[in-house]
Amino acid sequence: MRFLQPGTLEEAISTRVDNPEQSVIIAGGTAVVLMLQHGLIAPEVLISLEKIPGLDSIRIEDNRLHIGALAKLGDVADSRLVRQYFPALFAACAAVGNVRVRNQATLGGNLAEADYASDPPAALMMLDALVEVKGISGTRQISLPDLLLGFLTTTLEPDELITGVIIPIPTEQPRMAYLRYNNRSSEDRPCVGIAASATFNDAICTGLRLTVGAACEIPTRLSEIEALAVGSPLTDTRIHEIAEGYAAGIETIDDLQSSAWYRTQMIRVHIQRVLKGLRDG
Amino acid sequence: MSNATLKVNGKEYRLSFSPHQTLLHVLREELGLVGAREGCGIGICGSCTVLVDGRTISSCLMLAVQAAGHDITTVEGLADDEKLHRVQRAFIDHFGFQCGYCTPGFILSTVALLANHTNPSAEEIREYLSGNLCRCGSYPNILKAVMSLSDSEV
Repeated sequence: MRFLQPGTLEEAISTRVDNPEQSVIIAGGTAVVLMLQHGLIAPEVLISLEKIPGLDSIRIEDNRLHIGALAKLGDVADSRLVRQYFPALFAACAAVGNVRVRNQATLGGNLAEADYASDPPAALMMLDALVEVKGISGTRQISLPDLLLGFLTTTLEPDELITGVIIPIPTEQPRMAYLRYNNRSSEDRPCVGIAASATFNDAICTGLRLTVGAACEIPTRLSEIEALAVGSPLTDTRIHEIAEGYAAGIETIDDLQSSAWYRTQMIRVHIQRVLKGLRDG
Repeated sequence: MSNATLKVNGKEYRLSFSPHQTLLHVLREELGLVGAREGCGIGICGSCTVLVDGRTISSCLMLAVQAAGHDITTVEGLADDEKLHRVQRAFIDHFGFQCGYCTPGFILSTVALLANHTNPSAEEIREYLSGNLCRCGSYPNILKAVMSLSDSEV
């Protein structure tokens, strides 16, 4: 195996094009090194993005927050901008693994791996984030639903790299939360993760965004159920109805952690907790 | 094989190793620095904690080639000749261990914590160290040791 450290994005992309089948891209490495150690991948070439300058910045431009693909999850969680505008993303990134994993794992790597048992993707989908992707033919911006295809699978073409994430800053600051539920120990992977944001005019809910992650192959947002919240107060009955809608509408995963049935129950329970928390401010 | 220079505890080592070797493997097998231990091998237990540019990482989840060009600190680099680092001293004074397997990881995590927060609360210490596991269950004494170094100690 060769370890290459291209100094520019263009060089990284052309290295990838030269070795489409035999290469794997490595950012922080928490996922790739684990897969290497367990013999799940055996690439001839590892292409490290670490030496490409400027890919780890977190900044506001044109009223949108730009997070570089190489920003560490810990730096995203510690960012004053992220905490101010997107507390749900802060909470999701701060919930990943432990401090060491967050010191090494990157936001771009997290998305590219497309592991369902993860926290940031649900928060990013809830926030309508766009993923910036660069390939030989140029740059494109795609939504999370258009990036994530399924279990460890994305729609990225072999020549494409994630360069960053762009999140629109809302005009009116909503109430936001990310709730991660672990059914075993705290260092475990999440069983269910709920990302939500809501705006209110007095007690009337004027908008709800709700995404369930870690329980299903791809984080899931059900706009027709979200719409149930709008235009009336978030009563316990209404919240129950929304939780039932998500529980019924999501195909949950059976794995070593939990059965699909259990995850469905936990979606119902935790959506109610999150929404009551947002309502009661 | 990769040729790379690793800077460990202030000293530079010119090494040749296979690029799939982890930093943990190279520290232990090439440099004889056995303070970092393999526990779980998947980044959870914290026994292989080292500092890279002052930040804790799991050396079982980082390739040695990734660490080239960075400042690596292992527990062996903390003491100043015969004088123990104050975190090491506090762990001894408060018996913050039984078997000692997890101790280097806990000590390095504490060093990194105190570098950024001079007066962490008990809650902040618990949260920060939650990624280091002690199978002997010495947590109460570990907490006492770290609290003794915090300015917020009551």
